[in-house]
Amino acid sequence: METSISVQPTPADAGVRKKVLIASILFMGLGHIVYLRQYLKGVFFAAVEAVFIAFLPKIIKALINLQTLGEPKPHLPVRLRDNSIFMLIDGVVVVAIVAVLIAIYIISVRDALNEFSQSRSRRVGIRESINKAFPVLGLAPSIGLIAFFVIVPLVFSACVAFTNYSSPSHIPPNNTVDWVGLDNFRALFGGSKIWTQALGRVAAWTLIWGALATVTCYFGGMLMAVVLRESKIRIAPIFRTIFILPYAIPSVISMLVWQNLLNATFGTVNRTLRAIGIISTNIPWIGDPTWAKFTAVMINLWAGFPYFMLLITGSMSAISQDIFEAAEIDGASKWQVCRKIVLPIVIYQTAPLIIMSFTHNVNNFGAIFFLTGGNPVVSDTTTTNAAGTDILVTWIYKLTVNLNQYHYASVLAVMIFLVLAPIAIFNLRRTRSFREGEL
Amino acid sequence: MRARARINLATIIVLVFLTIVALAVLYPVVYIVSAAFTPGSSIALDLVPFGSGFTLEHFRFLFKNTNYPIWFANTLIIAISTSICTVVLASLSAYVFSRFRFTLKRTMMMALLILQIFPSFIGMVAIYVILLRIGGLNTLWGLVLVYVAGNIPYNTWLVKSYLDTIPRSLDEAAIIDGASHFRVYWQIVMPVARPILTFLAIASFTGPWMDFIFPKLVLRSADKQTLALGLFSFVTDKKNQFTTFAAGALLVAVPFIIFFVISQKLLIESLGASAVKE
Repeated sequence: METSISVQPTPADAGVRKKVLIASILFMGLGHIVYLRQYLKGVFFAAVEAVFIAFLPKIIKALINLQTLGEPKPHLPVRLRDNSIFMLIDGVVVVAIVAVLIAIYIISVRDALNEFSQSRSRRVGIRESINKAFPVLGLAPSIGLIAFFVIVPLVFSACVAFTNYSSPSHIPPNNTVDWVGLDNFRALFGGSKIWTQALGRVAAWTLIWGALATVTCYFGGMLMAVVLRESKIRIAPIFRTIFILPYAIPSVISMLVWQNLLNATFGTVNRTLRAIGIISTNIPWIGDPTWAKFTAVMINLWAGFPYFMLLITGSMSAISQDIFEAAEIDGASKWQVCRKIVLPIVIYQTAPLIIMSFTHNVNNFGAIFFLTGGNPVVSDTTTTNAAGTDILVTWIYKLTVNLNQYHYASVLAVMIFLVLAPIAIFNLRRTRSFREGEL
Repeated sequence: MRARARINLATIIVLVFLTIVALAVLYPVVYIVSAAFTPGSSIALDLVPFGSGFTLEHFRFLFKNTNYPIWFANTLIIAISTSICTVVLASLSAYVFSRFRFTLKRTMMMALLILQIFPSFIGMVAIYVILLRIGGLNTLWGLVLVYVAGNIPYNTWLVKSYLDTIPRSLDEAAIIDGASHFRVYWQIVMPVARPILTFLAIASFTGPWMDFIFPKLVLRSADKQTLALGLFSFVTDKKNQFTTFAAGALLVAVPFIIFFVISQKLLIESLGASAVKE
């Protein structure tokens, strides 16, 4: 380190620096090989660019296909026709690869300049190069996986929102798919009455569901946590263990069991209530749109309160004992301590998780799909497949799997993004690490 | 005297309240246990649990006439691989995000945050085609790739915020002593981060057990089915073998329940910690 301080940039240095810069921009890795004698790195960068150039024709073809999505060729056998969906995905993948290449290019140029300013002070061995590349090597597998299995699929489905990819007449490989601009958005937002109505109903219920599910579970969990903590019952741990059960049982199982128990005619709940004389006619727990919504929220409370109970218990036990001692000395009652000290701290600490939980519930596929299946059917269900308790994600699933209306499903996915992304960013901006600029 | 009576009354009210909640929580659990041991395949269960006899025929049926052991083995393989890969990849990237400064870091963290709010099945058509292209359809590793990729965004955040609380002086000292970044990550930071990694391992292990959509999308042949697919087929497919479903579900749920009850303390601590760190 000491040697590097003594090195002062001279006019000659500036000239070489410029040469390194130009060489690195001309061909990736050239600067490393010619001027810096970093052969390993240089050859790696050069190889990347060589591969890129070798595949250039294919890349350009994929980009052209992305734009046209293929031509209809009804005279060819199905196997040989243009498959628009493969073209679309390949196009998106190629765009992703090009983006990665540009990033590598920028890294190589920056690295060349960095190496240049350090090259005077010390020689860098292979082992140290690998050590210095640790951040890149450490991130590469994660970024690669995310790029191909998260980002490309999401970009693909965002793209589909602007095509007519749908059953019956635009399903590859028999037919091609075309870009249609904003047609799908127009159809869903006013253009087609039945779809607009269904969308309005499902979107409203999704937001109500998200809010109710979050609020009930949060306060349900808080109530249980506070009661278990404040009551001096000796068997409180036994109760806590019982209350963890819904959290421990995989939700598919518990939801399917509830579906069976709540069946209007043969379900145990109705038959029990009838047997002990509380009701005389069966309650359509999951058979009537209004009842089914109520049931979904209640069953979700059953399944979801343990999480917040554990969370709030943990957050309460993390409160410093000093605060309680100080309050006791000041003569505060137990109720005052709970209301004025414990609850504000707990709420302050868990507030970001409430927002997280809201986004989780908006996307809570299992809680709806395995309990009610989105049912009961309503007037427009035959056309749109959106039933009484369907939320956006279950509707997307049905549109994709049952109806093959991929274009509308993608519009819904874009909508979820538009609603949830700002919430997530808002949540992030409030965290301490973000405000303190650690990020 | 009076004060004491009041405390007793309050205690009784609390006890009654807790008992009612406990009954509501236990209600479906008791019925599923009773259904698993009830003879026949009736969907209309007896009102009184264990009221119509006791049998082990459903368990025998599961192991003799269905592929239950194969489903179980497949699911176990998927869950273990997903858990290991998630912990390794998420901790590596979290360490890099926590300890290094580089261009686009803020943008990348923000992108991860936004990506994690999407349920991954939104892109299922594309995932299907990509797996088709790389030969990952109807394979267990194809499914593992999908799960791991879906797990990384959120868990990188989770582990990163934990690592941020570990003093940097710890690893800086090691670097000055000449340790490589990988050694610092592997031998110094990871052992300190064990609580959050344990939590992550558990969470990503439990996820695949009951996922339904992706196995349905990726796995086709009978020897590649998972538990969720197999169990679901008992109650749909017009078969309605609810009692068999209950028996199979019970076998999955019991280890989970035992595990969660034992690790209660760890759960409370790590959940509480994740709240404090925000």
